[in-house]
Amino acid sequence: MRHLAKSAVLFLGIGLALYAALFYAADLLVYRTGKSNPFYKIAVANQESFDWVILDASHAMPLDFADFNGFMEKETGLHIINLASPGSGPLYNRFVFEQFLANHRTRNLLYIVDSFAFYQPTWNEERFTDAKLLGRTPFDAMIARRLLSYCLHEDVDFRALLDYITGFSKINNRERFERDLWEGEKQFDRVFRPSPAMTKSRISYLYPKPPTPAGLAHYLQVFDGLVTLAQQQGIHVVAIKVPVPPEFQSQIPSEAEFDAAMNGLLGKRQVAFLDFSGALAESRFYFDTDHLNRAGATEFFETHLKAILLATAARQ
Amino acid sequence: MLFTSLQFFAFLPIALLVFAASPARQRWIVLLLASYVFYGLAQPINLVYLGAVTAVVYACGRVIARAEPGLWRRLVLSTGLVLVLGSLLAFKFYDFIAGELSRVVGQMLGEPLAIPHIGVSTPVGYSFYAFSAASYLIDVYTARLPKTAGAADVALYVAWFPKILAGPIERATTFLPQLWEGLRANPDRLVLGLQLIVWGLFKKVVIAENLAPLVDRNFKIAAFASPMELLISVYFFAFQIYCDFSGYTDIAIGISAMFGIQLMENFRRPYLARSTTEFWGERWHISLAQWFRDYLYIPLGGSRAGTVRRYFNVMIVFLVSGLWHAGLGYGVGWTFLVWGALNGFYNWVGLATRGLWRRLGLLLPRLAASTPLWVLRAILTFHLVAIAWVFFRAKSIGDAVTILKKIATRLPELPGLIPNYPFTTEHYLGFGLILFLLAVEIVDEGRPVLQRLQSSPVWLRWSASYAVIFALLVLGRWGTKEFIYMQF
Repeated sequence: MRHLAKSAVLFLGIGLALYAALFYAADLLVYRTGKSNPFYKIAVANQESFDWVILDASHAMPLDFADFNGFMEKETGLHIINLASPGSGPLYNRFVFEQFLANHRTRNLLYIVDSFAFYQPTWNEERFTDAKLLGRTPFDAMIARRLLSYCLHEDVDFRALLDYITGFSKINNRERFERDLWEGEKQFDRVFRPSPAMTKSRISYLYPKPPTPAGLAHYLQVFDGLVTLAQQQGIHVVAIKVPVPPEFQSQIPSEAEFDAAMNGLLGKRQVAFLDFSGALAESRFYFDTDHLNRAGATEFFETHLKAILLATAARQ
Repeated sequence: MLFTSLQFFAFLPIALLVFAASPARQRWIVLLLASYVFYGLAQPINLVYLGAVTAVVYACGRVIARAEPGLWRRLVLSTGLVLVLGSLLAFKFYDFIAGELSRVVGQMLGEPLAIPHIGVSTPVGYSFYAFSAASYLIDVYTARLPKTAGAADVALYVAWFPKILAGPIERATTFLPQLWEGLRANPDRLVLGLQLIVWGLFKKVVIAENLAPLVDRNFKIAAFASPMELLISVYFFAFQIYCDFSGYTDIAIGISAMFGIQLMENFRRPYLARSTTEFWGERWHISLAQWFRDYLYIPLGGSRAGTVRRYFNVMIVFLVSGLWHAGLGYGVGWTFLVWGALNGFYNWVGLATRGLWRRLGLLLPRLAASTPLWVLRAILTFHLVAIAWVFFRAKSIGDAVTILKKIATRLPELPGLIPNYPFTTEHYLGFGLILFLLAVEIVDEGRPVLQRLQSSPVWLRWSASYAVIFALLVLGRWGTKEFIYMQF
C-alpha cells in the first residue's frame, strides 16, 4: 500500500508538471491568436491612457471589426479601446471595466445599451462560464481574484473560476490555432437581405424569456454600479443605442418600458442617453439581422458617433 | 449525474473515501446511498420508479423463494414480470402506439381520433434496471441463486450506480455473491479501475463526441447531404455508437472495480467479428445478448426445436431486441423494428452458411484460418452492421432508405472522388481516432492491452496513461448531455 501511495504521488507530481507546461503553452497561444477578447485587448494595450472605452455586447463590436477602430482613431485623433464582447450584459461589462481600470485610465466611457442584456442571467452571470470567452482570456492573477469576488458576491458560478484558474477552456479550445475573430467579423462587408424568419429567431434567441420588471431592476442596479464606478474615477459616461433595422426594432419586447427605466436611471446620474436605434433604416447598412456592416458603421460614425466622440473630448 | 460531469468527479472520490472509512459490514449502506444520490440527484422522481421496481421484485422474489413449486409460484413470477416489463413497455410504446392508432384510425374514419396519452417519458436507465430486476425474479424462480437475498441486497443489485444508466445488465447470480462475500477495496483493482475509467472516458469524450457533430449534421439533412458525406457519416456513426456505449461500460466496470465489485465484460472488440452471429452473440452488448439467450431464446425452444422453429426464434429475439432499443435519443419509431429484422435476417444467413464455413475449415484449414480471409470477413461483417445502423440512427425508414440509396447509386464514383474531396480537420480527426481505436483493438485481440501494460516498464505504462489523459484534456468534448444508451 505504501509503494502504491508513493507511485501515486510521483505520478500526480509528473502529471501536474506536464499540466503546468500545457497551461503555459495554451496561454502563450492565446497571445499569439488573440484579437477580440476584451481581456486580451487590455493585456496587450500599448498605452496606459485612453480617451474612450467602448463597452457593450455584440452591437458595439463592428466598431472594432477589421481596421475600423484604427479608422475612428485616425479620423478623431483620439485613443479608443473597444472592450465589447458578444452577448455580454452590464455585469460582465462591469467586470471587464474593473480589470481595465486596474492598470489603465480613460477619460470617457461610451456604453452602448442593448435591452436584451438587461433581463437575464444568460447575458450576465452565465457569460462568465462561457468556454469561448474563457478560452481566449489570458491568465492574470488579478482577473482570478476578481472572478473569485464575483463568484462570492455576484452569483457567478464557481465553475467559471475553476475553469479560469485551471485554464481548461484554453487547453481544450478546439479553435486554439485560429485567430480569435467573432464570426460576425468575417461578414463585415456583407449586405443582409431582410428575412422575417431570421429576425424572429434572433429576437427569441436574445429574449429567451419574456422581460420581467424584476430582472430589469436587478441589472439596472448592476449598470448603475458601473456608471457610479466610472463617475467616481472622474470618467465621463455617455450611453447610446446604435442603429438596428426597423424590422428588428419593431419586434423588441417591452422596449418603451426599458427606455423609460434607462432614462430614469441615467437622468439621475446626469448621463446623456442618445437613441440612434432608428437612425439607419436601410438594409444595406447591416450584415445580418441586427449588426452594422462596414457601410453602416461608417455612416453611423460620420453622421453621429464622430461628433459625440469629438464634442466630449473637446469639452474636456 | 453523468460520468463526464464535474459533479461526478467530485462525487466519486467522496463515495470512495466514505466507503473505505466504513466498517466492512456497513459498506452496503454507503453503496446504496451513493447509488440513490447518483440516480436521484438530477430527477428525484426517478427514485420513485426505482423504488417501485425494487419493491416489486423483492416482494415477488420472497414469495417465490418460500412457495412450493406450482401454480402460485408461476402466478407470482408472472405478476412480477408483467409489472416490471409491462411498465417498461407502457413507458416506451404506449404513447407511440396511441399516436399511430390515432393517425391510422383517424385517416380511415375521416375524422381525428383522440386516444389519451400517458405523457411520461421512460425514466433514464429504466430498460436496464427493469431487465436486471426481471432476471433476478427468473433466477429466484429457477433456483439459480444459492440463497435468498435480503431487501438491501436486492435494492443494491437493482440500483448499483455504475450500471444503472446503461448496464451492463449484470446478473444477480454473479453480483449478489460478491456482496455476500464482503466488499473490500483492493489497491490493484483500484489502479485497474482508474485505467478503465480513463480509457472509457477517452472512448466517449474524445472519440464518440468528436464523431457526433458530423453524424448529427448529415443524418439531419439526409436528403440534401452529398453521398460522400453520408458514407462518412455512416462509418462515423458505427464508431460513435460503439465508443459511446462501450466507453460507458468501461467506466462502469472501472468504478465497480474500485469498490471491489466485478461487472461482466460487455464488449469484446465487436468490429473485429467475422460474422454477424459472432458480432451479436459474442462481442456486442454481451450482457443483453445473454439475457435474450437465457430468458427468451432458450424458453422459446432455442436451437433444439427444429430448423424452422430455430429460425423463427432467432427472428423473434432480434425483433424484441429492436423494440428494446427503441426510444433512445433518436425517438421511438418503426426504424428500430426494421433494424432488428435486418439483423435477424443477417443471422438467418449466418445460420444457413455455417455448414459451408465448417466444410471450408475441414477442406482448406490454412485458408480458413488465414489472416486475409479473417480481414475480409471482418470488413464484410462491419459493413453489414453499418448498414443496419443506418436504420437505427435515421429519423425515419424513408430517411434511412434515402441515405442507403444515395450511397449505393454513387458508390462506383466514390473512389474517384476521394483524391479531390475537400476533407476538413473534422474528417481527418475522425478517421485518425478510428484508426487509433482499431489499432488498439487489434493489439488487444491478441493479448489485452491492459495486461501488456502491466508487464511493461513503468515509463511506458505511465507515458501511455499521460497520453490518454492529456488527449482527454486537449481533444475531449466535455459538453455532452447524455450517453446514447442511457436513454433506452
